[in-house]
Amino acid sequence: MIKNVLLVDDDTEMLHALKEGFKRYQESFAVLLAEDGLQALEVLKQNIISLVVTDLKMPNMDGFELLAHIMQHYPDIPVIIITGYSTPEMEQLAREGGAVGYIAKPFLIENLSRQILTTLRKESEGGTLHNISSGMFLQLIEMEQKTCTIRLEEKAGGKKGILFFRDGELLDARINNMQGESAAHKIFSWDAVNLSIQNGCALKENKIQSDLQPLILEAMRRKDEEHPEVVPEGVMEQIESGPEEPTDRLNRLKAKIEKEIGQQCGLEDLYQDAFWDNRVTQLSKIGAFFQLGKFMLAYIDKGDKNDYILIPGPKTTVVSVDPRCPRDKILRVISE
Amino acid sequence: MQELFNDILNTDGVTGIMLFDINGELLFKEFSNAVNELPEQRDWRFFLDSLEGMRETDLVFEKGRIYIRKTEIGYLMVLMALYVPIAMIRLNCDILLPTLQPSKSGRKFGRLFKK
Repeated sequence: MIKNVLLVDDDTEMLHALKEGFKRYQESFAVLLAEDGLQALEVLKQNIISLVVTDLKMPNMDGFELLAHIMQHYPDIPVIIITGYSTPEMEQLAREGGAVGYIAKPFLIENLSRQILTTLRKESEGGTLHNISSGMFLQLIEMEQKTCTIRLEEKAGGKKGILFFRDGELLDARINNMQGESAAHKIFSWDAVNLSIQNGCALKENKIQSDLQPLILEAMRRKDEEHPEVVPEGVMEQIESGPEEPTDRLNRLKAKIEKEIGQQCGLEDLYQDAFWDNRVTQLSKIGAFFQLGKFMLAYIDKGDKNDYILIPGPKTTVVSVDPRCPRDKILRVISE
Repeated sequence: MQELFNDILNTDGVTGIMLFDINGELLFKEFSNAVNELPEQRDWRFFLDSLEGMRETDLVFEKGRIYIRKTEIGYLMVLMALYVPIAMIRLNCDILLPTLQPSKSGRKFGRLFKK
């Protein structure tokens, strides 16, 4: 996904020189220009911006005002300050205002480029997915109960959008100047998308009150109305041997899972079964090869109605779970 | 060929990837950290036999995690740190799987990939 970087400076020569200099990075990011803070606000409304690089001293709206506006309305967008009037106090003020970088003029374009690329890389630190349906990332979010910022690009039209999640709950969505549920409906109506995941969510306020599933269904309904012929793509402890009785240990584990994850844990059954013992021994050997330490547990999907979590011990403990369970969370709870 | 696996390899915390054919022959490997022994010198057949009937296997160890996915040509194995979200790796494998199909035209390594 090509990311948009917005450069803001009233020195137009400087702007165009930077734009020219950044051409070598055109496969990583595109450059948009604004000559003051007010122009920058318009660009922010009309585009999905990944990073703003701004001068401080500008007419109409200066860099500090722009920084404050971005922190309030687009807290996910990092800001780098460039200034010809640098003082330590100014740098402190910029950083306290939320700027992620501060560069005094004159500077080498390579230094700014490096800082831009490093900052942009964080946008996809949680991974990227290409050519998937929006239903697939629903699966990702629900399973992981993630706190993240997801940037999406529609494959067909190149439209871009952002989704903000906290603990799997959708807080807000944004496309250009559209926000909230209406933006979410648009995004969920896209057939195939490329997306990148940034860990963490800068947003605090919840602007969407609906659950994810009704939002997606509503998006599909609207899309069907617009294009009736288009069929949307389917959504698609270790148990140490101890003095207590096995059933006590199993009950304790069951209670722990249910307490820490709640009803959505997907726990179906919990039992001991020697059938798995040999396989567990074989599976555990690979850890030694890669020096991964003690074997904690295995999650098995055989394509059955339920999946199985195997916990090694004198007799293998089997936790049978619904395949839609929050896998990472349940594995973490069991291995703790 | 590495391009096929780039989305997985570029995920923060993923440390390696291996692709085996159904006979246990190592077709592809890429590691971001050095491994003690050469994987191609290990006999993987016993291990892969233990995966029979499993569509997905996720092994959690004290210091890392191994995700194994059955493919039409064999098994794809992803090594990663404990913090990597497994759903992300699973989805990337979902996307990758259609390209990992045996070719009718030859048995050579490169021809296993439908691309």
